[in-house]
Amino acid sequence: MADVVLTSTETKYFTDDDVSKTVSRAIDLLNYDFNHDFHFVVIKPSLCYYWDYSTSETTDPRVVSAIVDYVRGQLGNDVSIFVAEADASAMRTKHAFKMLGYEKLSRKKHVKLVNLSKGDIVDKEVSVGDKKFTLKVNKMLLESKLIINVPKLKYHRRVGISCALKNMFGAISTPGKYIYHRELSEVIVGINKIVNSDVTVVDGIIAKGKYPKKMGVIIVSDNVLAADYAAAKILGYNPRRIAHINLAEKEKIGDFNHINLVEDGTDLEEIRSAFPEQNYLLQKISWKLQLKMLKAYSKIVGDTIPPILEE
Amino acid sequence: MGKLHFMNTLHVKDVRLVAAADKNKKNLKMAKTYNVNAYDDYKRLIDSENLDAVIISLPNFLKEESVAYASEKNLDIFIDKPLARNLTESRNIVQRVRANGVRLMVGVNYRYIDSVQKLKGMLDEGRIGDVVIATSELIMDGPFSHPLVPKPVPEWWFDKDRSGGGALLDLGYHLIDVFQWMFGDLHTLYSTLQYRFNLPLEDSATVILRSRKTSTRVVINLGWFSRMVFPNFNFRINLHGTVGYACTDQFAPKNLYLHATKEGTLNLLRKIVGKKIHRLSYTYYYSSFAKILEHFFESIKNDTASPISLGDQLKVIGTIENIYRRNGVTVNG
Repeated sequence: MADVVLTSTETKYFTDDDVSKTVSRAIDLLNYDFNHDFHFVVIKPSLCYYWDYSTSETTDPRVVSAIVDYVRGQLGNDVSIFVAEADASAMRTKHAFKMLGYEKLSRKKHVKLVNLSKGDIVDKEVSVGDKKFTLKVNKMLLESKLIINVPKLKYHRRVGISCALKNMFGAISTPGKYIYHRELSEVIVGINKIVNSDVTVVDGIIAKGKYPKKMGVIIVSDNVLAADYAAAKILGYNPRRIAHINLAEKEKIGDFNHINLVEDGTDLEEIRSAFPEQNYLLQKISWKLQLKMLKAYSKIVGDTIPPILEE
Repeated sequence: MGKLHFMNTLHVKDVRLVAAADKNKKNLKMAKTYNVNAYDDYKRLIDSENLDAVIISLPNFLKEESVAYASEKNLDIFIDKPLARNLTESRNIVQRVRANGVRLMVGVNYRYIDSVQKLKGMLDEGRIGDVVIATSELIMDGPFSHPLVPKPVPEWWFDKDRSGGGALLDLGYHLIDVFQWMFGDLHTLYSTLQYRFNLPLEDSATVILRSRKTSTRVVINLGWFSRMVFPNFNFRINLHGTVGYACTDQFAPKNLYLHATKEGTLNLLRKIVGKKIHRLSYTYYYSSFAKILEHFFESIKNDTASPISLGDQLKVIGTIENIYRRNGVTVNG
C-alpha cells in the first residue's frame, strides 16, 4: 500500500516558516522509515528552465530548504545532501541554480549542487512495453539509497500533467532531451523504472493549471505513481487517461488500487474545486491547429514565421 | 534575429540576398535551400562575395570588429541594436564608418512599431500639446524567452564582458532611443538597477530622464524578469501633454489572436490579387523588423542618409553608460 499525504499551509501568506512547517508536518504524517544507514541523500527539484518559482514552473527553493532541514533532523548533520538537476534542451543547470536561488540555498544550508549531466554517467537499458531504450543516467542516482523527488504541481501541454514521474525525466543526463519528445510517455516511465524516487514531495505552493495559482498545497508520498495519481485528480484529470501515468501502472511502478490517501486539514475535492483546471486535450488540439494554420499560411502567402515559433 | 533578417531580406524588392554566414550548420543548410551561398566565417563571406551591403546580427562583443571589417570593404551596414557594448566602442564604430564613407543604420525597430509611429505622428502634429510627463514599460523575458523548439540561451548573454550589460542595454536601448527621437537631448535624473536573478547583469531597471529641449520628464520601467508567451507583448508608452493624453495601447490590437487572423486573411487576399503582402503584420510586433530593413535598403537605393542618426545612437549609448556608472557598474572600454 502506498501512502499519500495531502496537506496545505495553515495561512495564505506562504511565509518561509509556513512553508517549512507544512513540509515538515506532511513528511511526519507519511511515517517514512529514515532509520537506515543513508550516506548521502539526493534531492531532485524541478528546474526545467530559468523561470522563477513564482511562475509555478520551477520548484520553490523554500520547499527544498524545508526538506533539507527535515532530513538533517532525522539523519543528523553529518549526512551529505545533494540537490541535483540535469541540463535540459534549453536550460543549463549552472545558470538555473544561480538564477532560481539554489546557489543561495546551497551556501545557507551547506548542501552541494550537482549537475547530473556531468560526472560519472552510465548507459542504462530499459524496456517499456515492447520498446527498449538506452538512457544516460548519473551514477549518483543509482548509488543513492534515498532520493527525494520534489516536482511541481502543474499542467503540461504535451503530457497533461508534469509532476513526480515527469520530474525524473529531467534527471536523464542527456541535455538535449527534446529528442525523446516523440515517445515521451515511454521514456518518462523508463527513467522511473531505472531510478526509484524513495520519497516524493510535490510543491503545490503555487500550482499551474490554466494560470498559476497560490494553492499552498504539499503532497507527500512514498510512491511516485501514487503522488501523480493524487496530483492528476487535483488538476481535474482522470489519472488513467494520462498516458504516462497509465503506462507507469502497467509497468508496475505503482498500483492505483493500493493507495492510502491521508487528508490533513483539507480534502482533495476542496483543493480540486479551487484549482484553475486547464482542458489539456482542447488546449493541445488548439495549439497544434494554430501551428498547422500558421505553417500553411506561411507556405501559401510566403510570409515569414518569427524565430520563436519555428519548428 | 539573423534568421529573421535573412527571411525578410529575401522578399525586399530590388534586393538580392547572395550570401549568409553563421556558425550554426543547420542555418547554413537552410540558407542553401534558398540558393544563398553559405559561409561559416563572415570575413570569408565578405572577402569572397561581390556585395553592396551587409546585415550584422552578431553578439555585442563582435560588433566593433565586424563593422570595422565590413566598412573597410566599403560596404553599407545594417546592425542590430545596441550599436556596441559601450560608448568607446560605439565612438570607434561611428568614426570608422564616417572615415570610410559608408552608411550605417542601427536596427532600432521600436521606432517602426505601428503604435509608436502613430504616437509620434500625434506628438508632431501637436495633438497632445507639450508633453510634460512620458512613461513607458517594456517588460518581457529578453534572452530567456523559450522558443517552440528549445535551445540553450547563448552563453555570451550571461557574460557581462561579452554582452556589455543586461536588460538596460538590451531593452532600455529601445526606449531611450524612442524618447531621444521624440524629445531629444536626454539626461538622467534618477536610476536604479535590480538583480532578481542573481546574475552579474541587471534584470530590471527604473530610469527617470529629462529632455533639455522640451523639459519632458521621461519614466522608463524595463525588465527581463517576466515570462512572456507569444504573441503577448508587454510594451507601452504614455504621453501626458498640455492638450491631452495618448498611449501606444490605443493604437495596438486589443486582441492579438484576432489581429493575426485579420492580417493573415488580408495578406492572403493581397497575394491572390497580386499585391505586396505586409510582411509579418499578423504578428504585430515583428513587422517592425521588416519595415526598418526596407528603409535601410531604400536609403541605399535612393542614396539618402540613414533615417537613424548615428549622433542619436551615440547619445543613447552614452545615457546607458552614464546610468551604469551612477549605479556603480563597471563599464569596460
